[in-house]
Amino acid sequence: MKQAWAALCAAGLIFGLVGAASAETVKVGVIATFSGPFARWGEQFQQAIKVYQKQHGTTVDGNTIEVIYRDDGGPDPARAKQLAEELILREKVQFLGGFVFTPNALAVADIVTEAKMPTVIFNAATAVVTRKSPYFVRTSQTIPQVTVPIAQWAARNGIKRVVTAVSDYAPGFDAEAYFVKTFQAAGGEVLESIRIPLATTDFSPFYERVLQEKPDALFIFGPGGPPTVGMINTWASRLKPAGIRLLCTAETQEIDLPKIGPAALGVVSSFHYTETVDNPLNKALWADLTAMFGKNTVPDLASAGAYDGMELIYRAVAKFGPRATGDQAIGLWRGMAFDSPRGPIEIDEKTRDIIENVYLRKVEEREGKLVNINFQTIPMVRDPWKDEHPE
Amino acid sequence: MTALSESGLRRLWHGLPWALALLVYFTGGGYLGLGTHALVMILFALSLDLALGQAGIITMGHAAFFGIGAYAAGIFASHLSADPLLGLAAATLAASLFGLLSGAFILHTAGVTLMMLTLAVSALLAEFANQAHGLTGGDDGLQLGRMAPLLGLFGFDLWGKTAYLYALAVLFLWSLAAWRIMRSPFGRSLDGIRQNPRRMRAIGTPVWRRLVVAYGLSAAMAGSAGALEAQTTRSVGLGALSVLTSGTVLVMLVLGGTRRSYGAFLGATVYVVVQDFAAEIDPFRWMFVIGLLLMAVVLIFENGLTGLGDAARRALAGLPRRSGRP
Amino acid sequence: MIDATILLDGLAYGMVLFIISVGLTVTMGLMRVVNLAHGAFAMIGGYVAAMLVGAGVSFFAAAGLATLLVGMIGAVAELAVYRPLYRKGELAQALMTFGLTFVVIASLTSGFGTGIKTLPLPAALGGVVDIGFRTYPAYRLFLVAVGLGLALLLWLLIDRSAYGARLRAAVDNPRMARAVGIDVNLLFTVTFAGGCALAAFGGVIGAALLPLEPFYALRYLVLFLVVVGVGGIGNFKGSFLAAILLGVIDTGGKYLMPQAAAYLFYGAVLALLLLRPNGLMPAKSAT
Repeated sequence: MKQAWAALCAAGLIFGLVGAASAETVKVGVIATFSGPFARWGEQFQQAIKVYQKQHGTTVDGNTIEVIYRDDGGPDPARAKQLAEELILREKVQFLGGFVFTPNALAVADIVTEAKMPTVIFNAATAVVTRKSPYFVRTSQTIPQVTVPIAQWAARNGIKRVVTAVSDYAPGFDAEAYFVKTFQAAGGEVLESIRIPLATTDFSPFYERVLQEKPDALFIFGPGGPPTVGMINTWASRLKPAGIRLLCTAETQEIDLPKIGPAALGVVSSFHYTETVDNPLNKALWADLTAMFGKNTVPDLASAGAYDGMELIYRAVAKFGPRATGDQAIGLWRGMAFDSPRGPIEIDEKTRDIIENVYLRKVEEREGKLVNINFQTIPMVRDPWKDEHPE
Repeated sequence: MTALSESGLRRLWHGLPWALALLVYFTGGGYLGLGTHALVMILFALSLDLALGQAGIITMGHAAFFGIGAYAAGIFASHLSADPLLGLAAATLAASLFGLLSGAFILHTAGVTLMMLTLAVSALLAEFANQAHGLTGGDDGLQLGRMAPLLGLFGFDLWGKTAYLYALAVLFLWSLAAWRIMRSPFGRSLDGIRQNPRRMRAIGTPVWRRLVVAYGLSAAMAGSAGALEAQTTRSVGLGALSVLTSGTVLVMLVLGGTRRSYGAFLGATVYVVVQDFAAEIDPFRWMFVIGLLLMAVVLIFENGLTGLGDAARRALAGLPRRSGRP
Repeated sequence: MIDATILLDGLAYGMVLFIISVGLTVTMGLMRVVNLAHGAFAMIGGYVAAMLVGAGVSFFAAAGLATLLVGMIGAVAELAVYRPLYRKGELAQALMTFGLTFVVIASLTSGFGTGIKTLPLPAALGGVVDIGFRTYPAYRLFLVAVGLGLALLLWLLIDRSAYGARLRAAVDNPRMARAVGIDVNLLFTVTFAGGCALAAFGGVIGAALLPLEPFYALRYLVLFLVVVGVGGIGNFKGSFLAAILLGVIDTGGKYLMPQAAAYLFYGAVLALLLLRPNGLMPAKSAT
């Protein structure tokens, strides 16, 4: 089987070199969440992919790029694994993409490795993910990567005492650990670290506790969606009047801002994508999104992850033709640097993880709309976890 | 109709689902992963049929046992042995012990109270799994390494052929056992308890003890299903313990029909297949299709989809209308 | 004084649970329909109000209109979907109402997208009020007041009015009720519509605590079921007590020992149900 596979690849390569390959269809399987409470992720992925295909065409050198979507319904590793099998064996996809949740990405690592399937993680932000298969690359961020800058900024800007409140699940633990470590190393004091159950709808008791501690600022990490909105609104009504500032990472993401409302004004966060980043790619992405999907559509980290994932896949097909192998694609992607709507990015040659700018931003009102505005750029940040945990 | 031909017909009828399952094995190709998942859900639904259909234990927390089985198999594989059968046995045992233990506490109650208690138990368990990060991986999930070959002979392949047959064999054994249990004196007494617990108590049946045993058996089956899911997909997530999983398996069973030989088979298969196809056509709106299907089944059929089979059989054979259980 | 704040927070949270769950106590407890679509009715109410507010209607008018409209939808649903269900078993009812919930979720998703639907509070409720020892969000005080008012209203309606007497009679013994000239069908339609309207009302005024989104119908359903179960089936006074108790335990526990917060709510449910298997206040007709 392996020999047949190799022969097939060799044949593909030869055709590619001769440049006489007849037009083929390259299938890209996208496993993401299209239903349930997290369906917005799949929606954002799909819209960004459609914008990318509108801007760059649906063919590369005459080869049609067909994207096949599959719904994992949320954090469900068993289903993700089964969908990956189906896409690889039945649909014969050439690339995999998507993966909102870390457990789903981890679950497909084995089969991706066995099938040598080049796979682009559009989100799943736990640091360890890319270690689990040599055929993974990531176009999002890692939690330590975007958390460390806000802790450093806080320590340098007159914030001495902080309480952290994170959602009680693995990504929350990562955010807590890196914030506390960085902030303390920079001379700050962490008064308490609270973990908030995921099912919490009323945050007031936790915040009353914070109020008693009288910190300079509160650092939060939420799971996105309704709980995050509650976290920020309750801060605005209980802690903001007492002069306690709010620090966070993804919580003020552009898609949630209109829902949080004026409560979010003044919140400082650090993140790798800001909708108001001033570059032509980002402007085009935003313009096309609103033109194709309505004026309220806003790009976010999911859009950026999917958009850049498509860029990687298009480049691999452009270089190796419709039968690119996993090793060829990964080889190409290692060390590749290009411009993204979020700014310049690079795929780390060693870790296959993303190196990118992290922005410090503040929520402000512009033209009647709430947006994040960058006030400082920390250029080309690598994932700190990988530097601390060498292979 | 003569008695002989009817029993022959019935034997044929019983062979049909298994023949179909084998047919899927030979023709399924890329669908074997889906097929294995369907087999697992059939076993899970069958376990619920024993507790809910037969013994009348209304539960909204059956995912607790599925999840315990899945996590036990996962932890067993990562720390003790990669042998799938040993892992399956350990998981089944763990789930049944938890079923007996929790059942002993909550089965003094009935109806909505029991429903809420099962819900509370499974919610607490899910929270524990989320917190016990070191053991379960928490939200990151648990990844199993490669399983050792089945019986030392059949390795688990990328195409999922071994996994499918493995799940099918376990399902077959469990459904034989369930068949025997439901038709044993013990099973009949459960039937009586469901219909009239007070009367059964009056004639001296140890109702609580019977219910606890039934709950433990059902938990064992659900644990086996969870273990199969973990071993064949080599991963476990917190979803295995969620309320949604409990609800889904309940829907599958009721969709197919409770206390019917193949109710769980039909319900789980239809649900899994319809969900997969509807999600393929329109990933955003498969819930609409499933929702309409559920409503239509309740309005049209008497006891789930197996009601359709009854109607067809009556029409074909001119048999008199049967009431209650087959 | 912090204790008073926490108590007030718990009370406000409990009131939201009560306002939404009490409709379920009526449909599931009194009418004996396993109504898993209850959250869907609450959600529809919230969405309708959000649309009205978006179109310039005031918050309170929108709340009233949404309640009325969902009440009417409830009446139609009772005639079309629920009536054929009364005679089928509770499992068929669960399946049917679960299916209905799925359809509502899918419909709202295609109509409004998957994100949160905002329902901004009116200025009068958005601010804070001085309550002597501190300032406190006006919205939460409003919730407590509305919850108390609603409980009183229901007590008058169900325990003290002719309608209540007829309803209790129709539930306990429909045949006898018919014999004495009660239009049981009409009574059930009206009562079911009332239950749905209550759900919608709770969905609207509780939206700042339980944010609206298509999955609302399933996300919070368990919460509502638990309140009804702990309170005692069919007894709205039990639901009132259960909602407040759970609200205060949950809130107080989160404040006092956040490390155990995740276990508190369901731990309390487990304990309460094991101690009082028939609920805090079992209905008199329940055996």
